[in-house]
Amino acid sequence: MSDTKTDTAPQLIVSAAPHLKTTDSVEKIMYSVVVALLPALAGAVYYFGLQALWITGIAVVTAVATEAAIQKFRKVRITALDGSAIVTGILLAFNVPPSVPWWIPVVGTFFAIAIGKHVFGGLGLNPMNPALLGRAFLMASWPVLMTTGWSAPTGGTTSGVAAVTSATPLMAVKAAMRDLALGVNVEQSRAVVESAGTAKAYFSLFVGSVGGCIGETSALLLLVGAAYLFYKKYINYRIPLSYIGTVAILGWIFGGEGLFTGDFMFHILAGGLVLGAFFMATDMVTCPSSPLGQWIFGFGCGLLTIVIRLVGGYPEGVSYSILLMNLVTPLLDRYTKPKVFGA
Amino acid sequence: MFNIIKLGSILGIFCVAAAFALGAVYESTKGKIAYEKEKVMQEALKSVLPEAKIIVKTDGPDGKIYYRGFKTENMQEEPIGYAIVAAGKGYSSTIQTLIGLTPGGVIKGMNIMYQQETPGLGTKSVEIKYGEKDPWFQRQFMGKPGDTIAVDKDGGQIQSITGSTITSRAIASSIKQEVAWMKAKAILAPVGK
Amino acid sequence: MQRTLVQEFTKGIGSENPIFRLVLGLCPTLAVTTSLLNGLGMGLAATFVLLCSNTIVALIKGIVPPKIRIPIYIVVIATFVSITEMVMAAYTPDLHKALGIFVPLIVVNCIILGRAEAFAGKNSVIRSLIDGLGMGAGFTVALCTLAAIREILGDGKLLGYPVMGQSFEPVLLMILPAGGFFVMGLLMGALKLKDLRAAARKRAQAIAET
Repeated sequence: MSDTKTDTAPQLIVSAAPHLKTTDSVEKIMYSVVVALLPALAGAVYYFGLQALWITGIAVVTAVATEAAIQKFRKVRITALDGSAIVTGILLAFNVPPSVPWWIPVVGTFFAIAIGKHVFGGLGLNPMNPALLGRAFLMASWPVLMTTGWSAPTGGTTSGVAAVTSATPLMAVKAAMRDLALGVNVEQSRAVVESAGTAKAYFSLFVGSVGGCIGETSALLLLVGAAYLFYKKYINYRIPLSYIGTVAILGWIFGGEGLFTGDFMFHILAGGLVLGAFFMATDMVTCPSSPLGQWIFGFGCGLLTIVIRLVGGYPEGVSYSILLMNLVTPLLDRYTKPKVFGA
Repeated sequence: MFNIIKLGSILGIFCVAAAFALGAVYESTKGKIAYEKEKVMQEALKSVLPEAKIIVKTDGPDGKIYYRGFKTENMQEEPIGYAIVAAGKGYSSTIQTLIGLTPGGVIKGMNIMYQQETPGLGTKSVEIKYGEKDPWFQRQFMGKPGDTIAVDKDGGQIQSITGSTITSRAIASSIKQEVAWMKAKAILAPVGK
Repeated sequence: MQRTLVQEFTKGIGSENPIFRLVLGLCPTLAVTTSLLNGLGMGLAATFVLLCSNTIVALIKGIVPPKIRIPIYIVVIATFVSITEMVMAAYTPDLHKALGIFVPLIVVNCIILGRAEAFAGKNSVIRSLIDGLGMGAGFTVALCTLAAIREILGDGKLLGYPVMGQSFEPVLLMILPAGGFFVMGLLMGALKLKDLRAAARKRAQAIAET
């Protein structure tokens, strides 16, 4: 996080730039993020039932317990309640389908904290967002459980799109587009694509009454939380704007059957883009600190997301694109750091 | 100059010695390797045409190869079954499936001989569930006419593997194509005969 | 100080383990360790090649001109690899199919040429033979460790037999390439941690004594 403390707390801190000091502590920032995530959690409970709360609770408890156990093993100060583990737990739970078995959030969070964070030295030293790494691990390990556990939300179909109930909107549309390209099931597929572009479908996606991972469906409630973080100045507009903007523009150009016919509203609202752009790409540890670096970071995330969505093997690419851009962050910081005045 | 010749000939001597050693091993393992390859094919053929006593490789039209199975060693009789290798482009590999057919074109047995699909998804095509004897995905093909085989997403009767429609479709459509070809070339009897 | 023959053997398994300490020959290590049988097969094949090449290289070190020693080592190694491959194809066809391209690729395994160049070209035949055996054993032990962990977690089996019970959902990642890196990295990290903690204890002891 900021440079106020790391797990090892050496006497003489020799760290990479930025060397800015603020009065914000890790706790203050992290608990603000927790507060910002609460509206989306409430929405998830409303749409998917207590199962969503249960999964999130398991993830948070596992995250805190894992953090404490590993810090004890590493013989460093135990800071499991500083809020960062809680955020990781919540974000991981937000990234799994609502009806996964109970051990999925346990294993995923353990991996996120142990491998995603502590192997690299703990908070502030992890190159990638731990929660997303946990999700990538779950996706690679149990692809069937992670791509079929969708439950229909209260007041909506799973996909929010006509006639398909076993998939998320992105999955339904992607399958339909592929069928159109192959020329099979043409009528049904066209109906799916068209129904995804109606005002009614956009509204479902906006409020969140569609199938999807626990915390990603409601753009509205996520935006409420994000507004709070903007107000507290813990995130800025650069990454979310360039990320979502890139997805919208590229989705509009390449997302349809011809150029410039893509359904950009659908690409903005569907899947985990809003959650990813506001809460995960903006993670202070793993995104660039210079303004230009943040613009490039957001653009890169958007480009990768749209490439994965349109031509990749997976229906959704938000998590992988953020992870890949996390790895480029040190380079972005090196090449975009502002010139020292007078140098 | 002289040095190069000297070094070259020393290297040459080593290469000749290596060549002799390799030649000797090759000669002594050649027969066994060919036998093992043949055995794999024969076992696969036996598994798809269990009732046949002898199975004969046959050159068909279009330069394709298929197999005929006979009940007894008398090859003058009508074959009781046929086998052919169907190849279809899956998600990450070309899947080769050996299928055994009745003279009417009904699938009697199948054996996926080569696939490199995604572990956990496409490889479910050869997965044998705990306590069972044969792969559950392939069991669905048994007893069905080969030229109408298709996965459920294409309106057929084969339930595709969750998350692996491409693999399932590749297997089903490659089989359908080969059986249709055998019928078109009158190797298999048309339906109803 | 000359090592004893026993030390010459054990260094390959422990202090100079080709995988965990020298970090050589990672390509086959990560690629074939998806099941214990594959790991064991690969380890034994590489050990056989290492043993033969080390012995031959030590035998001919007097007559090989230094300028062309590398091509000659490669000819020797490639010969033994080809022999191994043919013998495997003939007598263990299933293993040969499973290991695939990685058997011929033993030729370019750094361990083999590395030991020929760094050890067998300078030491006696008997020492080279022991060194080859030790390094091969170390390689095999490392491969089997990795492979056993990955097979149990990634497939719920060991040597093809279910060991984790019916309700276990295999951690697929473990048999995917990424899983190889994870297990490898964690094992190396654990060994390093053990070393560091041992060194810290020693230091503390030394301070306490003074």
